[in-house]
Amino acid sequence: MHEFLNDPVDVAVDFSGLKVRPQKVRWGNQTYDIQKTNLVHGAREGTKRIFYFSVSDNANFMKLRLDTETLEWRLVEVYAV
Amino acid sequence: MRSEKIILHIDFNSFFASVEQQANPFLRGKAIAVAGKGKEAIDVHSIEKKGARVRVDNLPYMRSVITTASREAKAQGIKTAMATWEARRILPSLLIIPGDPRKYSEITSRMMTILRSYADAVEQFSADEAFADITCASGGDYLGATLLGERIRADIKRECGAYCTASIGISNNRLLSKLASESFKPNGFTVVPPEDALAFTASRPLQDFCGIGPRIVKRLESLGVTSIETLRSFPLSRLTHEFKSYGQFLFDAAHGRGSDLVSDDVRDPKSVGHSYTFPSNLLSHAEVRKNLLFLADRVASRMRKHGFASTHLTAYVRYEDFSGTGATKKFKEPICDGLEILENALKLLSPTIEVDRGIRLLGVTASGLTKLQGSFPLLHKESQTRKALRSLDKITARYGSGTWQRASTLSTEFKERVSGWHYDHEA
Ligand SMILES: [Mg+2]
Repeated sequence: MHEFLNDPVDVAVDFSGLKVRPQKVRWGNQTYDIQKTNLVHGAREGTKRIFYFSVSDNANFMKLRLDTETLEWRLVEVYAV
Repeated sequence: MRSEKIILHIDFNSFFASVEQQANPFLRGKAIAVAGKGKEAIDVHSIEKKGARVRVDNLPYMRSVITTASREAKAQGIKTAMATWEARRILPSLLIIPGDPRKYSEITSRMMTILRSYADAVEQFSADEAFADITCASGGDYLGATLLGERIRADIKRECGAYCTASIGISNNRLLSKLASESFKPNGFTVVPPEDALAFTASRPLQDFCGIGPRIVKRLESLGVTSIETLRSFPLSRLTHEFKSYGQFLFDAAHGRGSDLVSDDVRDPKSVGHSYTFPSNLLSHAEVRKNLLFLADRVASRMRKHGFASTHLTAYVRYEDFSGTGATKKFKEPICDGLEILENALKLLSPTIEVDRGIRLLGVTASGLTKLQGSFPLLHKESQTRKALRSLDKITARYGSGTWQRASTLSTEFKERVSGWHYDHEA
């Protein structure tokens, strides 16, 4: 299943040095333990700075979007095996 | 001391597809293709904005074109620019992924940052390719150049991820370094010192040379030229008779000669330009106008963002066979409005443009930049335009580009870059 969406999620992060690494993602009633952060990329929307985290566990890929202005996390892409 | 330059060419392998595989480990080792622009293309960014839900695993994608195929897909016959329906017919299990320009441009800029940290000058050639002049950085010899190339490769692996592999070529000009990097994929590293140039070029097929397209190959074949060796022994006078000034290029290419100029765009703030390579050739004046307007608006808004207006405008076109034309015009009054840039660009191109030859690339460059004056133009209409532009620029600065669009381009849906656009979502 490969889906693009825009759902609010709760994300627990770990700071290793200055790097932000998602550890747990709570989406609906389910919590996912993140195992790998495969790519982090940024983008600018006008004055806003957005960060995207491409993360995965054993069976799911998730792309998370962090709006640094509102500090809001969104799940914007899911790929499940 | 050598007086010759040392030029490095770097090219990501299956770029968009590799970045997708880097981001999503479940795509690794699989035949995937990144879908290009087209009526059905999915704009990842606009889904985010609208908050819609789109399942992409069983979309038909009948009319779209493939921008990049993964190495696994290529091994099964999937090619760049292939129609999606055709690719699906060849390989029904092919996974088609919507393009995500923000991801790709991040990797591109990481590559550029790495190159800039080492090289004397760096020129981005496309989304996944760049030339670097490493003459001084390498100490001027091929041992130094080889070590430097290896260091760049290690940095790319660390900064971009192990899946984003690149091929590197090093030689004494652009033509040879690109030919070298393309001779070994993926993850190649090919060094061609000048003394090997003749043997190396002779070992490569004609169509592998940058600037020798399929049409040129056909024309050469009709003259009995089927390889670099036969091209080399073909009289220059006959080449120039047949191909005009392009004949000299062909003659030089056959001898491994070419430009070694790497123009560092970062150190050249004297112009603002945008060009676009179309996924499929343009064949009508209406399409040319629409796309030129889009380019003109981008150029204009970037100029105004930095507080400039321009006194010189260049418009150019490149055809399918890489030949092309262009012209430059000088203005008394500096201009900074996209519509004005469009009208002038059209005037510049109209005497020479041959739409039915198939347009591969359009470009607009504004140069002779002067500080934009705050004073109001005398004509009422101009002052209205200036006010409107100022408000639109504020909107762009706050919310990003793509927030507004001219009514005349509404029938074309412009999507965030999938291939070709440079810098266009940096607003
Ligand atoms: Mg490439």
